[in-house]
Amino acid sequence: MATDYVDAGQAVGNSTLSGIIGKAPAVTQGVNYDRIRNARSEPQNWLTYYGAYDGQRYSPLDQINKDNVRRLTPAWMFQCGSVGLHAGKSTYSFEASPIVVDGVMFLSGWDGWVWALDARSGELLWQYRHAIPFDVSLCCGNVNRGVAVADGMVFVVTLNAHIIALDAETGKKVWDKTYGDVRAGESATVAPLAVKDMVIVGSSGGEFGVRGHADAFKRETGEHVWRCYMVPKPGEPGSDTWPAEGEAWARGGANCWVTSTFDPDLNLLYFGTGNPCPDFDGGVREGDNLYTDSGVAVDVDTGEIKAHFQYTPHDLWDYDSTMEHILFDLDGQKLAAHFDKNGFLYILDRTNMQPVRVAPFVDRIDWGEVDEKGNVTPLRYPEAEGDPVHFWPGPAGAKEWTHAAYSPDTELLYCPVQDVGATATRRRREFKESIPYWGAGVAVDLEDMAGSISAFDPRTGREAWRWANDIPMCASVLATRGGLVFAGEPTGEFNALDASSGEHLWQFQCGSGHHSSPCTYSVDGRQFIAVPTGWGAWTEGFLPGMLGAGQGSSLIAFALPED
Amino acid sequence: MSQTAQDQSVEEVVAALGRQNGTTLGRVLGRGSVGLAEEGADGRMRATIRIPEDDLVYEPRVLVLPHAGEVELTLINDDKNTHCAVLPSNGDYQFIWLVNSSKGTAVLDLDGPGYYWYGSRTGNDEGRGLTGAIVVQGDAPPEARLDRPPQPRP
Repeated sequence: MATDYVDAGQAVGNSTLSGIIGKAPAVTQGVNYDRIRNARSEPQNWLTYYGAYDGQRYSPLDQINKDNVRRLTPAWMFQCGSVGLHAGKSTYSFEASPIVVDGVMFLSGWDGWVWALDARSGELLWQYRHAIPFDVSLCCGNVNRGVAVADGMVFVVTLNAHIIALDAETGKKVWDKTYGDVRAGESATVAPLAVKDMVIVGSSGGEFGVRGHADAFKRETGEHVWRCYMVPKPGEPGSDTWPAEGEAWARGGANCWVTSTFDPDLNLLYFGTGNPCPDFDGGVREGDNLYTDSGVAVDVDTGEIKAHFQYTPHDLWDYDSTMEHILFDLDGQKLAAHFDKNGFLYILDRTNMQPVRVAPFVDRIDWGEVDEKGNVTPLRYPEAEGDPVHFWPGPAGAKEWTHAAYSPDTELLYCPVQDVGATATRRRREFKESIPYWGAGVAVDLEDMAGSISAFDPRTGREAWRWANDIPMCASVLATRGGLVFAGEPTGEFNALDASSGEHLWQFQCGSGHHSSPCTYSVDGRQFIAVPTGWGAWTEGFLPGMLGAGQGSSLIAFALPED
Repeated sequence: MSQTAQDQSVEEVVAALGRQNGTTLGRVLGRGSVGLAEEGADGRMRATIRIPEDDLVYEPRVLVLPHAGEVELTLINDDKNTHCAVLPSNGDYQFIWLVNSSKGTAVLDLDGPGYYWYGSRTGNDEGRGLTGAIVVQGDAPPEARLDRPPQPRP
């Protein structure tokens, strides 16, 4: 007998069962190139990834300052959690920097999530979730570093290497373009950057033997504008730094998975590039391996490489240079500051990417020596097959991808420092597309580690002060005109330090570790400090001594009491 | 009463992994039948997924789509218990409540390639076996691929 089925209807979106409003105010319609270029002139907003194109992670807001920061208290909190099985089960923590436009916060999370929140109350206005294949190749956790907003749209990349544009009022998809090949091991985690009429992104997958690239798309339509490969093909400039025979160049890495900074006057994007592939085993890729581990200045209109500086030629230590280049002018010079994984602070002339000065920023460096011009003498590295070699800093680097800051008030740079070593044992392997392409077995030290927030004078490269921690510091810092530097710890504490002296002024335990980028903004005259928290990602690489720590995922907004 | 582990052959253990309350309490995920979605003349992919009686599984356990795009599922609960499905789709999870002897639909937008898990969040369904997979075949579009010679694959 045929069953008389009850009509279950059609499946509905989860958001319809959540109380979510589903609509945000039209605050981003007027966000254009000119406003983003002058982002610091509207300090109530955090318009772009670093707060401004220069990457300083500095805000002119000063309502919260060193005289009153002890009264800072949570104003609201946002959490999402996780449903079902998802890719990269090692984490569902935040690695993003929130964007704030006139009282609306735009935030991305793990596994394809994007949210619009009321920046005053934390109320969820809309959410979007891109369905992420469970089997996408992820080197370093199920993470996303943030969104860009402009012209009424929100731009975000997905772990399966798409760039999508969402309607900023509704969260509905406007366009969707694929810019990476997941079958080759590519993925995407970078926060896009809106420049002129384009949105700029970079690729992830440097541990899978891909060929790193940055791409530009038209914001309005998603039309592809240019692609810039960070490893040259045979015959192109720089190709002589790769073996003439074979296809090492085709698997060379140099991914740019951290947002570039941008100088509108020079018309240059400043990308940091990742490690060469395979990591640690230089025998299959003799030469300097351009443009891996480099700062690369790219013409924003054409995608053409105009200048570069390679921090670690022929890398044998996994010393990516993807982290930011902070742009600032000092004593009439156009400079860029870069804290590299290899333990050295580089002050570059950003007009030509030549070093002005080089100085160590971590206590223990024994992998090699770097002179004041940036010339490298390798000392300790995996060489003989099966022979373990210990070196400092380990492959997590003396600073991870998380960001330093620069305050024009103090004229100091503030860096989260990781002092932890590792042992690598070279193990050669064949390349197979989509399989991790490492050339060593690596164990990061579980003991004998330290960290700090350290302030440096860019005029001398010398340390001005240090706030020491007993474990590495792995989250981005934030500097404000209130004379403060904010920094989160792996153990969950969120701290405010005196920007001039490093004195510890305030702390709040957030319940899980920090591995993201806080920002500040104001709504109706009330300043907030927003910090996404949650421990996870490739903890085994940068701090395995905290591998077992609790994994959470909260964004907490702090403010002074209203009364 | 179940046999002790010592009494069972490997074949018996393996066979019991595929039924409720055998070797395990539920069913080990990822085991079971495979089905293919059909592509209609209108270009839309369609498939039927059923929940059979007292087996706490979606049938087929693995649904394979020939390519990325929209797929229309017909979901039928033939069980004497209530279940649901939380399904992946670009934009939002798609949720459908499936009371005993009910039938509904879901339209999913998946851009693969790769595979996606879905499941029932009702009671203990997920742990007992009500977790299925949707596989999307295909490749990244040519314009997105790397400019390099073909590379060896596993």
